[in-house]
Amino acid sequence: MTLSEKYGTEIAEILSRYPVKRSALIPLLYLAQREGGYITEAAMIEIAGILKLTPPQVYETATFYTMLNLKPVGTFHIQVCKSLMCALVGSDTVIGWIKAKLGIGPGETTADGLFTLTAVECLAACGTGPMMQINDDYYERLTEEKVDRILADLKSTGSCALKTGPFMWPEPARNG
Amino acid sequence: MPESKTDSVRLTIDGIPVTVPKGTLVIEAARRVGVMIPHFCYHPKLKPDANCRMCLVEVEKMPKLQTSCSTVATEGMAVRTATTVVNDAHKSVLEFILANHPLDCPVCDQGGRCDLQDFSHQYTATASRFVETKRIFQKEYFSPLIETQMNRCVQCLRCVRYCDEVMDVKALAPAGRGTMTEIKTFGTHELDCEFCGGCVQICPVGAITSRLSMYEYRPWMLKRADTVCQFCGDGCQITVQTKDNELIEVNSEYGAGRNSGDLCARGFFGFRATGHPDRLTKPLIRRNGALVETTWEEALEYTAQQIARIKNAHGAQAFGGLISGRCTNEELYLFQKFMRLAIGTNNLDSSARYGHMNGVQAMRRVQGTHRWTLSFEEIVQADVLLLVGTNVTETNPITGLKVKEAVKKRQARLFTIESIRPAIGTISNITNLVDQHVCALPTQFGGAVLALLKAVVESRLVDQRLQHESPDYVGAVTQALERLSWPELEAATGAARDTFVQMATGLAQGRRVVVLAGQELLRSAGGYGSCLLLLDLLLLTGKLTEPGCGFAPLAEENNDQGAVESGAVAELLPGGLDLANPEARARIARAWKADLPLAAGATLVEMIDRARSGLVKGMLIVGENPVGSLPTVVGAKEALQRLEFLVCQELFLTETASLAHVVLPAASSLEKAGTFTNQEGHVQAVRPAVDPIGESRPDWEILSALSVLLGTPLEYGDAKELLKEIRGVIPGYGLLGPAPIPPKVDRAAVERYLAGDYRRALAARYTLAGPADAAGGTTHLGLFQSLFHSGKLSTRSKGLLQIEAQAALRINPADAARLALADGDRVRLSNRRGEVTTTVKVLERVPEGSAWFPDHFGQDTAKLFECAIDPDTNVPAFRTASVSIAKIS
Repeated sequence: MTLSEKYGTEIAEILSRYPVKRSALIPLLYLAQREGGYITEAAMIEIAGILKLTPPQVYETATFYTMLNLKPVGTFHIQVCKSLMCALVGSDTVIGWIKAKLGIGPGETTADGLFTLTAVECLAACGTGPMMQINDDYYERLTEEKVDRILADLKSTGSCALKTGPFMWPEPARNG
Repeated sequence: MPESKTDSVRLTIDGIPVTVPKGTLVIEAARRVGVMIPHFCYHPKLKPDANCRMCLVEVEKMPKLQTSCSTVATEGMAVRTATTVVNDAHKSVLEFILANHPLDCPVCDQGGRCDLQDFSHQYTATASRFVETKRIFQKEYFSPLIETQMNRCVQCLRCVRYCDEVMDVKALAPAGRGTMTEIKTFGTHELDCEFCGGCVQICPVGAITSRLSMYEYRPWMLKRADTVCQFCGDGCQITVQTKDNELIEVNSEYGAGRNSGDLCARGFFGFRATGHPDRLTKPLIRRNGALVETTWEEALEYTAQQIARIKNAHGAQAFGGLISGRCTNEELYLFQKFMRLAIGTNNLDSSARYGHMNGVQAMRRVQGTHRWTLSFEEIVQADVLLLVGTNVTETNPITGLKVKEAVKKRQARLFTIESIRPAIGTISNITNLVDQHVCALPTQFGGAVLALLKAVVESRLVDQRLQHESPDYVGAVTQALERLSWPELEAATGAARDTFVQMATGLAQGRRVVVLAGQELLRSAGGYGSCLLLLDLLLLTGKLTEPGCGFAPLAEENNDQGAVESGAVAELLPGGLDLANPEARARIARAWKADLPLAAGATLVEMIDRARSGLVKGMLIVGENPVGSLPTVVGAKEALQRLEFLVCQELFLTETASLAHVVLPAASSLEKAGTFTNQEGHVQAVRPAVDPIGESRPDWEILSALSVLLGTPLEYGDAKELLKEIRGVIPGYGLLGPAPIPPKVDRAAVERYLAGDYRRALAARYTLAGPADAAGGTTHLGLFQSLFHSGKLSTRSKGLLQIEAQAALRINPADAARLALADGDRVRLSNRRGEVTTTVKVLERVPEGSAWFPDHFGQDTAKLFECAIDPDTNVPAFRTASVSIAKIS
């Protein structure tokens, strides 16, 4: 099933937000990513068609952002910030902890398909590093105990109370 | 001078004063005084990107170093390019680039002409502070023609920007981020694009190179010859590089020729066609029914004997000649002189007859010129462009680039009447850039122009002066248009009245209006009438005689225009003079010191008909292939088989040459000297890059030798001597400057036309064409030119065959879905005249209900087409037919 068939109205709504069609590229890529956790080639070709771009132009944008996955990822996509601020307060150590606990390095997925680890560029939480983002949620001021608990909670219940986000996107729902 | 104050600025570069036009970049201003600022990402064809940081300079009063490629020169600026600070900056940029660049110069094809290599020498960057391992990209297969070696990439993005800004193809993408950015197409897919070679040419290092001659040479081993491409009417200058008489590569230089560095797939990758092993290397003569090798002496003597025999027995009118528009002006000129003097007949024609004559005759009739009244510069500077039946990306790619430049860089308005739909594809599509587009079948291009004319008249857009001065003409046209109703025009063209009104208004408002007519229009039935309608359109809107405006029919073969101007068509003498005009005849007779034959000559199809009926008994065919080009219904093969004597001068044993009694091996355009005239009327020098293959000889030499044997010696020492004679006959022919000087519209001719000549066949051209072909079937089949081929010559080019090796029928996705077809499926095309099978390729730009077949492969489809001969220009039109399509399971 194509994206247009499945999300026709949502795509129309996204397109209506921008006077220049091409600007809708990243929202559409996010929409495509929602499908299976990553963006398929078919989705990129379809988005190119919708926006009157060539597939390489879509590919260019999709490869630029670490938030967009071009390969399948686990149920929980751990993105550890490795930019300067977090690096100074120990993002390497965080990656080390995760590696010790889950046995995966950056770019790898656990055998059970639950976790994927990626080292990413700045996630704009420089004041609260080291930090990571798992799916749409932020986890900040990480310590080894916190990481332990986050991973354990996610494994058992699928969510963790330590989450502090999402902040940026999508906008938080305004329900009281 | 107050004017120069506003238009130009003065600045100093390293203390040297220079005055440049306003808006000039500092890097260009420096170039003017001979200061070369090192750079990678800057290229004069591209918008400044300033990403490589190599061109930093010091500008007085500016606190930091500036990138000279993005800094506009301003009045009083003092730029320093050689200070210690600048030098240090350059060195450190270089150090960063070299931190990752591999030391593989010995195996890099760019070695010897690499910017990075040159700058490294210049800055003697022998030591690096970087100890990290260099970045390594996985080697990925890119394309059979283009090699990428991403470890060498300096990430200047010139290739990506060229592909987008100039070509409008957008096939390349910088994938990834930072140091790990790599040039790719789409994922791991193989490159599928226009293959213009632009990325290969524009890459400052060895990251993107051609695979056609990989590892075969070092740049300094190559011998270069600047010559002109042999593939289309654009007339691009190419530099052919050879090593030991072997073709190595073709490239083109920024600023040189009409193309200024741009080429298409045919120009860049098609050069090996002439070196194909099938080339004829020895004369062939028919003995006991088979063609066998012989000597030049025997072949020529036998040919001369046979020509003399036929002439004596049946008269000169029993002989006819055809020549290809791929020959040089010198050869075309000598050919018609040979036919007219040595044989004594006007039965001669060239490939200009396939369509170009329609445009030429329309121009001659209305504006009194046989050339464009504009040049490529006017296309670029136009503010309104109308393209009719051009499919310009595939037929005349460099003209297409001029249109793209006008639209993309200079915001011209583009109107198109084309048989393609706007769609993003692997090659660019000019209709993606339009303001208004009418997607019509080639048979209805005339109808669309009529609708446009009707909109002009009804919206009161007719030029006031014309209305006042030529009320009869305006009245007659208005009356003729009144007979056409909007519902029938809309039904025929598939476009709404409003579209035409918008277009008409745009055309009338335009100050520099250029109309381009392409092959699809020129080769359609009624092509001549449609050209006249387009000229009527320019007249009515008062644009025809305005500077910067005009009508430009695009030529298919590289020298179709030269064929017309050299007199290599039955009805014209050299210089576009009318054969029927006694004064013109007298002038040529004086120049030749001989009488011209009086009887009007037979044109292409007439000669074939006369051969069939036995009136024509002998023919000389130079590089032309009527059997392979004309549809089966014309019966060229049967007709030529009836000839008592057929002699062909050819590169290959074509369908026509294989019927000949004598085949003389000819030298290709890469092996001889002369001139080509492009569609603008620009005469450019053709220079030999390699020696003729085998015993082949230039066509003019063969004709000259035959003339001696026939007792009418037309002897010349070399091609230059011939050009000298041409210049004597056509004053000022071929100034060979950097740009053509287009003729002006002949006002006397326009007055003659307005005074009453317009009435000739007015009603016929102001009538909607009916359904052209009723041979059965609902699909409109059209022959079209592919971007990757030109005629049949290019199907011998290894490089081009790697892109497109066999014919595939292009169909629309909706039609494909209806018939349950996918790429590569086999289908049967059939109509009353016959049936053929082929494979399909699904393309979005093909309109629903149409199917296109590339006009380059095999002869199978020839039997499906009908042939209509234009009553005025004798142009055979056979590019459309109706067929039904069925899947073969």
